[in-house]
This record gives sequence, C-alpha cells and structure tokens, in this order.
Amino acid sequence: MAEPFKRYRCSYCGQEYDEAEGWPDDGIAPGTRWEDVPDDWYCPTCGAEKADFEMVEIS
Amino acid sequence: MQIPANLAQTIVDSRAYAAGDPVDEAFRTIRAEMPLAVAEPEGMEPFWVVSRHADIMTVEKQPEIFHNGDKSTFLTLKEMDPMMRFITGGEPNLIRSLVSLDGQEHKDLRAVVFPSVTPKALRGLEEEIRKIAKSFVAEMLAKAPECDFATDVAFLYPLRVIMTVLGVPQEDEPFMLKLTQELFSSADPELNRDRKEVNPAEALDGLRRTMEDLEAYFGVVTEKFRANPTEQVNSLIANAKVNGEYLNRRQLMGYYIIAATAGHDTTSNTTAGAMWALAERPHLFEQLQADPSKVNAFVEESIRWVVPVKHFMRSATQDTEVAGQKIKAGDWMMLSYQSANRDETVFDDPFEYRIDREPNRQIAFGYGAHVCLGQHLARMEMRILWEELLPHLKTLELAGTPQRTISNFVCGPKHVPIRFTLN
Repeated sequence: MAEPFKRYRCSYCGQEYDEAEGWPDDGIAPGTRWEDVPDDWYCPTCGAEKADFEMVEIS
Repeated sequence: MQIPANLAQTIVDSRAYAAGDPVDEAFRTIRAEMPLAVAEPEGMEPFWVVSRHADIMTVEKQPEIFHNGDKSTFLTLKEMDPMMRFITGGEPNLIRSLVSLDGQEHKDLRAVVFPSVTPKALRGLEEEIRKIAKSFVAEMLAKAPECDFATDVAFLYPLRVIMTVLGVPQEDEPFMLKLTQELFSSADPELNRDRKEVNPAEALDGLRRTMEDLEAYFGVVTEKFRANPTEQVNSLIANAKVNGEYLNRRQLMGYYIIAATAGHDTTSNTTAGAMWALAERPHLFEQLQADPSKVNAFVEESIRWVVPVKHFMRSATQDTEVAGQKIKAGDWMMLSYQSANRDETVFDDPFEYRIDREPNRQIAFGYGAHVCLGQHLARMEMRILWEELLPHLKTLELAGTPQRTISNFVCGPKHVPIRFTLN
C-alpha cells in the first residue's frame, strides 16, 4: 500500500506544501513526494528554502 | 468580554510603549484573563485585541476573511478616519502599500519584488552588504570609547543597505532617514515633522506634508528608471506591469515608500535593541564572544525582543469565529505582535533575553500571505553587522539610559549610549 501523502510547512510563514497537491504553478505535479521536490525550490510565499520546511504532524 | 479601560488605554499609548514595561504588564494580564476581547480606548472605534501567538497565526492564515485594507491598517483615532478618506479620495490608509492591500492586487504587487528578496537572490548581495557593515564598524570603532549606537550605527547601516538594494544614491540617505522618522514617529516631538508636541490633526497634517515630499522625490525616480532600467528594486517597481499596465500612482508611491521606510526603520530598531540587550548582559556578550556561531540565534532573539512592528490591524469581511469567539463582519482587530512574542504558552521565560530558543517561534515578521517581504534581508544584514563588529569588542556596557521612540506602531530605541574597549 502506498504511503499516505504528507504535508510540510514553511517555518517562516506557515505556507504548506501538500504532496497530494504538489505545486503546479512551479511545475511540481500533484503527487510529488517531498524528497522529489527540487532542492532549489523555495517557499512561494516568503522565499525560504526547502530545508526550512518542517513536516506537519498528522493528528 | 470588554478589556478594562486602563488596560485598553495602555496598549494604545505611545508613551507606554516608550516606557516598555507598562505595555508588557498590560498584555500579560490580557493574555491571562481576556486573550481575545474588545478594547475601546478613548476616541477610537472598538476593536478586538488578538493577544495570543496562536490566534494571530489563525487570523493571518485567512487573509480572505481578515482584510488589511478595509479599515485603517494601524491604530488611529475615530476623528482621523474622515480626514484620511478626504485626503486619499476615500481610502482609510494614507499610503496604499503592500501592508494595506488585499486579494489579487496584493499578490500581483508582492510578486514584483519577491524574486529579489529570497535567500537565494540575496546571497549575491552578501559581499556588498559586508563591505557596508565594515565601513560602519570602522566608524564606530573610531569613536571609542563611547558612542550612541542607535544614531551612530543602527539608524545608518540598514539605511545604507536598503538604499543600495533600492538604487537610491548615498547623498539622498539623510533625506530618506528624516522622512522615514517623520512618517513613523508622528507622536514623538524629537522626530516628527514639526519637531514639537502636536495634536492628532496636526500630526496628520505633518504626515501629509511628509508624503508630499516623498511623492515628489519618487516621481523623479519613476522617470529615471523607466528611461534607464536596472536590476535595483526601485527600477523593478517603476517598470512593473500588471495586466499590461504600469502600477497606478497610489500603488507606485505606496511601494516606493514602504520599501524605503519599513525597509530600514524596523531593522534599525532591532539592531539598536539588540545592542541595548547585549550591553546590559555581560553573560550574553561572553557567550557570543566564545561561540560566534550563536549570532543567528542572537539576531532571532533580538527580533523577538524588540518587536519593531508593535501591531497591525485587520477587519473581518464576514461573520466568523476565532478561538471560540464570535467575530462579526466589519469588526476591527488588533494583532499585537508585542504580546504574541511574550506569549507564555510559546516561549519559556518570555521576559528573559535568551539565545538558546530552538526553534525561536517569534512572529514579529507576521505570518501567512502578508509575512514581511524583507525578512530574509533583515536577518542577513543584522547577522553580517554582528559578525563584523563583535570580534573587535573587548568590553561593552551602557554609558547612560537608552530611550525608546514615543510611538505605538513601528518603533524601538532611539538612543543607546554605550561604552566599549577594543581588542
């Protein structure tokens, strides 16, 4: 069974990246896993780097 | 629930912010006893006080529900509103800038400068900013054993950095500093337009005259950069097009003004406040000397500590709820960053200056779609200044009593006298 999609949150502005949705505006297709998001992708809201995102705990 | 009159009065009182402790004490009570309640200070429209860190994030994450620009974006007297709308042709804010915009217009305008201020883009500026830092450090060291760190360094270094990024010539810096201080310090007789105590109507008239000076200045900037475009931020603003059209006059002026004023005053306040904290805390000075890698933590904590933007206002576009409290369409809300950055549920020892907060969840830059556009530049320029300055200092202490600006909006220390010896 495929691993559930996860969400990652920018620690500077709260912008979330949802693996299920991807980020089509930046050419990142829905379903793109976090590890497959290019390392030079940056937060579309505040510009923080990929490394500044934290996984959102599923509660 | 209604916030008692004495507390409501304190959290809008410019002199209480200048004193410091009274505001922190008032918010401590508000957070504990009425964290989301209505204040009605004399002469003001009633507003919700959002005092908790989590509630501010909740509001800021919903920019479509909580608008920036439908009402005044910062605290203002009721009597000022009709005057403001008369001056602006119907708008509640004197300046139509990013902090007062909503929806698509905000997105479109933010996108003009955004690519230039990402950490990735800023890396290319590190060397130039370091050169600027070195020159201000050298000037400060030449003043040993004493200086006023606020006026000699903290006001001037971020100004030079932002003017370089914008493309403003060095000879115009004193003019820009004067107008910025007039704009943000209308209640402070030392810094306002008329350099005296003024009533609210006189303060607004002073702001209007300052705006006229800024608009005259930036009118020429538009012509210059449209004739000869560069990569500098003012050129990006001058040449930006949305749906094939240049920005209109209010958008252009608002953009230039916010970039040129908020782009350094906030960092100046934080830098001055950081030095004040350092000069009072020998253990902190020793810690940083022993481990220079702590400088990023020092910068982050100084942002939490100083909170250079004390608040922004929002208004609800529909009936809604925050933290179980019913908010009605049209309600005005104060997001107190000053309070959120002292929130006991987020920060251990919130009234202590500590560089071991990991992570430091300070929220002084705001959150969500309106998070400060220049936050990464601000962090970077402060880090570079301390990296350049600290290795030169052997001892450091206050040489008098620091003073804060009299203001309840964008403010911080205006005088930080220090005594120091050199390595």
